[in-house]
Amino acid sequence: MKIMTCPLNGPRNISEFVYGGQVKAMPDHQNVSDTDWAHHVFYEKNDVGIVLEWWMHSPSSFWFIAERHNATDEIIRTYPADQLFKQRVDFVANEGES
Amino acid sequence: MKRLKNAHFGQWIDPSQTIQFTFEGGLVQGVEGDTVASALLANGQWVQSRSFKYHRPRGPLTLCGYDANTLVQTPVAPNLLADRLPAEDHLAVTAQNYTGSLHFDLSRLLDWFGRFLPVGFYYKAFFKPRGIWAWWEPIVRKTAGLGISNLSVKAPYNDKTYAFADVAVIGAGPAGLNAALLAANAGAQVTLVEQEPRLGGSMNYHAFEGNYETTKSARDALVAAIEAHENIDVLCSSTCNAWFGDHYLPIIQKSRLIKLRAKQTILTTGSSEQHVVFRNNDLPGVVMCSALDRLMRLYGVVPSAPVVVLAGNDLAYRTAFSSQDGGANVAAIVDLRTTYNDPALSDEAKRRGIALFQGCGIYEAKQGLFSHGLSQVDVHKLDERGEVAEKLVSIDCGLLAMSAGFMPSYQLACQAGAVLSYDDSTSQFQLSNLPQGMHLAGSVNSVFSLDLVEADGRNAARQALRNLGIALDSETASAEDVNFTEQVNHPWPFLKHPKGREFVDFDEDLQIKDIINATRMGYRDIQLVKRFSTVGMGPSQGRHSALPTARLVAKTTDRTVHETGVTTARPPLMPEPLGLLAGRRFHPLRRTPLHHRHIGLGAQMMPAGSWQRPAYYGDPVQRTACIQAEVRAVRQGVGIIDVSTLGGIELRGPDAPEFMNRLYTFGFVKQPIGKTRYAVLTNEQGVVADDGVAARLGEHHYYVTATSSGVDRVYRDMLRWNAQWRLDLDIANVTSAFSAINVAGPLSRQVIESVGCSVDLSAQHFPYLAYQEASVAGIPARMMRVGFVGELGYELHVPSPLMGELWDRLLTNGEAHGIRPFGVEAQRLLRLEKGHIIIGQDTDGMTQPDEVSLRWAISSKKPFFVGSKSVDILSKSPLERQLVGFELGATSPQPKEGHLVIRNGHIVGSVTSCEYSPTLNKIIGLAYVHPEDAVPGTTVVIRTDDAVHAHARVAKTPFYDPDNLRQAL
Amino acid sequence: MPFGLLKYGISNDYPFEKEADLPLPTELKRQYDVVIIGGGGHGVATAYYLAKYHGITNVAVLEKGYLGGGNTARNTAVIRSNYLTPEGVKFYSESVKLYENLSNEFDFNIMYSQRGQLTLAHTDATVRAFRQRAEVNKHFGGRSELIDPRNVAELVPTLNLNPANLPVLAGLWHKDGATARHDAVAWGYASGATQRGVELHQVTEVTDVLVSNGRVTGVKTTRGDVNAGVVIQAVAGHSALMAQKAGFPLPLVAYPLQAMVTLPVKPFLTPLVSSSALHCYVQQTSRGEIVIGGGSDPYPLYNSRASLPLKESLISSAVEMFPFLSEMRLLRQWAGITDMTSDYSPIMGLSPVENYYIDAGWGTWGFKATPICGKTMAELVASGGKVPELIQPFELARFDRFKQVNEMGATAASH
Repeated sequence: MKIMTCPLNGPRNISEFVYGGQVKAMPDHQNVSDTDWAHHVFYEKNDVGIVLEWWMHSPSSFWFIAERHNATDEIIRTYPADQLFKQRVDFVANEGES
Repeated sequence: MKRLKNAHFGQWIDPSQTIQFTFEGGLVQGVEGDTVASALLANGQWVQSRSFKYHRPRGPLTLCGYDANTLVQTPVAPNLLADRLPAEDHLAVTAQNYTGSLHFDLSRLLDWFGRFLPVGFYYKAFFKPRGIWAWWEPIVRKTAGLGISNLSVKAPYNDKTYAFADVAVIGAGPAGLNAALLAANAGAQVTLVEQEPRLGGSMNYHAFEGNYETTKSARDALVAAIEAHENIDVLCSSTCNAWFGDHYLPIIQKSRLIKLRAKQTILTTGSSEQHVVFRNNDLPGVVMCSALDRLMRLYGVVPSAPVVVLAGNDLAYRTAFSSQDGGANVAAIVDLRTTYNDPALSDEAKRRGIALFQGCGIYEAKQGLFSHGLSQVDVHKLDERGEVAEKLVSIDCGLLAMSAGFMPSYQLACQAGAVLSYDDSTSQFQLSNLPQGMHLAGSVNSVFSLDLVEADGRNAARQALRNLGIALDSETASAEDVNFTEQVNHPWPFLKHPKGREFVDFDEDLQIKDIINATRMGYRDIQLVKRFSTVGMGPSQGRHSALPTARLVAKTTDRTVHETGVTTARPPLMPEPLGLLAGRRFHPLRRTPLHHRHIGLGAQMMPAGSWQRPAYYGDPVQRTACIQAEVRAVRQGVGIIDVSTLGGIELRGPDAPEFMNRLYTFGFVKQPIGKTRYAVLTNEQGVVADDGVAARLGEHHYYVTATSSGVDRVYRDMLRWNAQWRLDLDIANVTSAFSAINVAGPLSRQVIESVGCSVDLSAQHFPYLAYQEASVAGIPARMMRVGFVGELGYELHVPSPLMGELWDRLLTNGEAHGIRPFGVEAQRLLRLEKGHIIIGQDTDGMTQPDEVSLRWAISSKKPFFVGSKSVDILSKSPLERQLVGFELGATSPQPKEGHLVIRNGHIVGSVTSCEYSPTLNKIIGLAYVHPEDAVPGTTVVIRTDDAVHAHARVAKTPFYDPDNLRQAL
Repeated sequence: MPFGLLKYGISNDYPFEKEADLPLPTELKRQYDVVIIGGGGHGVATAYYLAKYHGITNVAVLEKGYLGGGNTARNTAVIRSNYLTPEGVKFYSESVKLYENLSNEFDFNIMYSQRGQLTLAHTDATVRAFRQRAEVNKHFGGRSELIDPRNVAELVPTLNLNPANLPVLAGLWHKDGATARHDAVAWGYASGATQRGVELHQVTEVTDVLVSNGRVTGVKTTRGDVNAGVVIQAVAGHSALMAQKAGFPLPLVAYPLQAMVTLPVKPFLTPLVSSSALHCYVQQTSRGEIVIGGGSDPYPLYNSRASLPLKESLISSAVEMFPFLSEMRLLRQWAGITDMTSDYSPIMGLSPVENYYIDAGWGTWGFKATPICGKTMAELVASGGKVPELIQPFELARFDRFKQVNEMGATAASH
């Protein structure tokens, strides 16, 4: 079976990992139409090619990002999530909310 | 029978050690080193099975497990290959799939009716009149199937092994031996995998360049070097059954599955000898040339009857001469070709007194009058176009050895993505497009003469070492030239006969016309030919049928063989016992620290997620009474329950409040310290996903529980969200660190006070929903008062190693108050009386908060929580169902969970919880109903068992103590 | 008696071409009324119903590989209607009814065998869910009931009632459950369709979908461009990719699904048996082979390669259910690519492109729906785009409205 390299633990059998879905940018939920929000929830990019995915190394509960080709199954690279999510995310209240 | 044993023949046997087993009830004498098949052949027993469809008698074809003519069974296992099964004392072997006996099989009738059963005949019949297939099917099922499964076999215990290597070499023939040595000499860790019990591959039985003596000494030298080498791990009697991603190789060695992870794979798997397709080529006694070589060289069995060799290449001549050297009477060589590679061969044949028929073929093989085996072959001339012409002679013989060429053992490479292409100039299939790190050498790489094969093996090792970054000195590093094409394949080894029975696929009893007729019926793609005719779908999986099928289909559909192709190679290479793949079969169970105490108290355990929890305590025969007693204790006295499985997640840090706010639907930023709050999670789709209780321990410190099956997922999701949000907090899953119990009932306060509690438990100082840390019976505890079962009660979370003691103290002191442990069943009923929903039981994969009256738990003031936008969108549409409480009189038919709520003949909802409540003396429950019926007092119809309609009354919840006074005492 | 077989024995060279099941390849015309992308079971079934019941025969089925070579060739041939939602059960019940007569419908033996399907419950929660499924199934005329472990033992005496420390608490016994020769379903429909004038073009890949002013006008193929009045896509695992060519996304994720088969043995197992908790189902074909299947692969992939860890856990579960299977030998392991929806229900009907219809989202539940899918998609085309009531709940637009049809609990190996 495939080997995946956990950024924290090194190369491990892929059965030690849990797939966490595609990395999707969350639209500004307060300023997005209902249809666009539904698309964010239910749709993913499904072309053939390299995709950006969440993976977790199960024994250590470590989440990271993987770039993987979704037809050849080649794992291009893996890296800690903070290389993609570099800044703290804040949700600002709309007017009239506390 | 006397066995031949000297330096060059009978190399694997020891005639001095006899073995006795039974075959079909008769005693068979073999010797050490025999397989069941070779021992049977040594005793003249050529008929070893009956074919699948026509029940024709069959005997060994390849003698190495590459055909299915020797499928036999033992009391323990069906479908074993007799030519791979070592002979053992007392082994009771029987044949399979016959009606009557192996020698007189009534089902042979199907062979005589063959003319009425064309390819795919079962698709054209057996279904008219309508429904008649139901009558035919059991009959068809009984005639199908090969062996008989022994249904009482207990699954054995088979461990698996993990191995690692720099280079895996699959196949220890001349190519593999050379590859392994070169790689190991350069310092690589090599694992050498060989199917047979000994190393050597074809060097064990084939006289390369016509000289067995030099072949053998070359082999001995290589083998000795391998066995002495400390870098080489040798696995004999081991079959590499597949190639999985990143060179993960499952290897079956006897009763062990070895999972080998290699960095480079060298496939030196050799090739399958191919047969000639002529009438009755399936008679026992018709074998491959390599099978005859094996029979004599490995097992020392000398055929007593005359031998004829049917040659499609030069290598067949070596078999003829080699067998004669061993004492066989080789009557003739029939050569399909008019020209051949080595003219010296015809001289040699003449010198040896072997009749030579060039440009001829066998048109028909015939069986004896009283035996099932081969007794005569008809030799016919072939004209310039290769078509059958006049008969020349009939030759009496008992064994026909044939070789029409070779098909590379392509399966592992093709599993890995390699591609087969047909070269018309050599009439061979060749492999290309190998994945990274995979190399081929030897006949699998279309190289056949010994020098080139050995060089090819070394070249493959060089490539592998280069990929590994292992340096070689310039002399060793330089690749050898292996560029030389050899003609070993005959382009068209078919002699079509008007009466047919020229078998293309022995497993499935398919003859030339079957393949052609499939294409005539419109199944022209090679995959459709396979599926319609079943060619290649039997145990041999195309090893001998893929090449002739490709050629026939190409011809009849007017395409090239390359375009036609072969069908997909899939794991496993050889049939593998399921028990080895199943292995030890671990079934982990999670137990709380109180597990053994529960057992000691007579608990009946039940699964809750991966945990074990007490369902109730007592004798299963008195189940209902036990549960009702537990319920009574809680309502009237005091009960104690283990709630450790609800888990615990600890959130600490400056952003802990903000994080709680974003994960859960309610507001948590302003949750007072020392207070608990109901915590509900929705997922991104706005569906209620989990719930629990959140206690605020400090400004930046929360402790949250979940549901038994949910806590691990909640924890994982929390980590993933924060990987995106980068809030300043630490999230820890402390489920195992803490154990929790809930002491519930009007007397709970007294019981806890009686074991000693460092805080005042009175309502004033420890109000409902409060959280405090205390020392209880000297044990540090996190204490909270939560709704739970609707009585005065305290939940205590203590460090796991200390819970046992606390439990014991509470039970001891509580005895005077009539304390009872209670389990999940009682808990369910108690909570149902309060109308509490159970996530996963009263909610399903689509439940939105409004459907279950959780709007109060949704904060409208927060900018965001997971699912908030979806919840908003959902709330804009009218509800289609609503979860409500309902009740029925105690004597009413009792609905069960899953029963449907029917309205005007339509399904509008279902019952999610329902119990008889002795406390209230009525049947209570929760159900999804039509929103218009959700008003208390409305009657709804529930269809119960046997379609009996129960008319339930929608009721407000809680059913018990509607003002919630008792839990707030 | 199969007297129909006698004709084959009379002549020495029976003229099979005259009654070929499938026609010889023909030229691809430049124009058809209907183009169906995908020559699997669903595609040819749709063509069949169009030709036979609606007289629409100017139809081309375009298949990039060989007939039925996608998931129709790879599934484990389970036919049942014991789902959970009323919408789903109503739909699949219709399919079961059509299957019961299918061999006679298109004059090809699909070896339909209604042996019953038994799903095992190992937890209380599953028992509750099964009771609901039985009730919904019965409501729509199906035969399903919740049975106790004693009945389970009677139905399948060879079953281990305490596999993997999860004792069987109950069973969902679905008498309507059946199996059939999956390839034959495609062949029967294809034969019936092509006999009536439909053209089947294999090895003809659609490389692009031509859309103009929001309406489909045709397709581009490896054998030239084709104009079409109506186009249907029925391409299973590649549904999202095909839809993209037509210019719109589909809420699908493609996961491999593995299955495997053993060497054949004499019959010992009649019903199809599935375990919810063990995520495994086992059945014995008419040929005697044991087929083992289970849940999807753990991560998405547009590839049907086999894998080892899933195989080990699947076989481990099968051996737990039937311990003596340990001595049986695995012959072959394969996989298909399944287009999974988030609610485990299909996507059928209209698309954002006019006259371009979708038959997708069939995940691991497509084979059993082949007849009813063909019938309803044909109705959709024949009516000029009016969606039949039976498939309305499966519209693509349901996701925009958060109106999923949740069958997650009722697919073969989930709990």
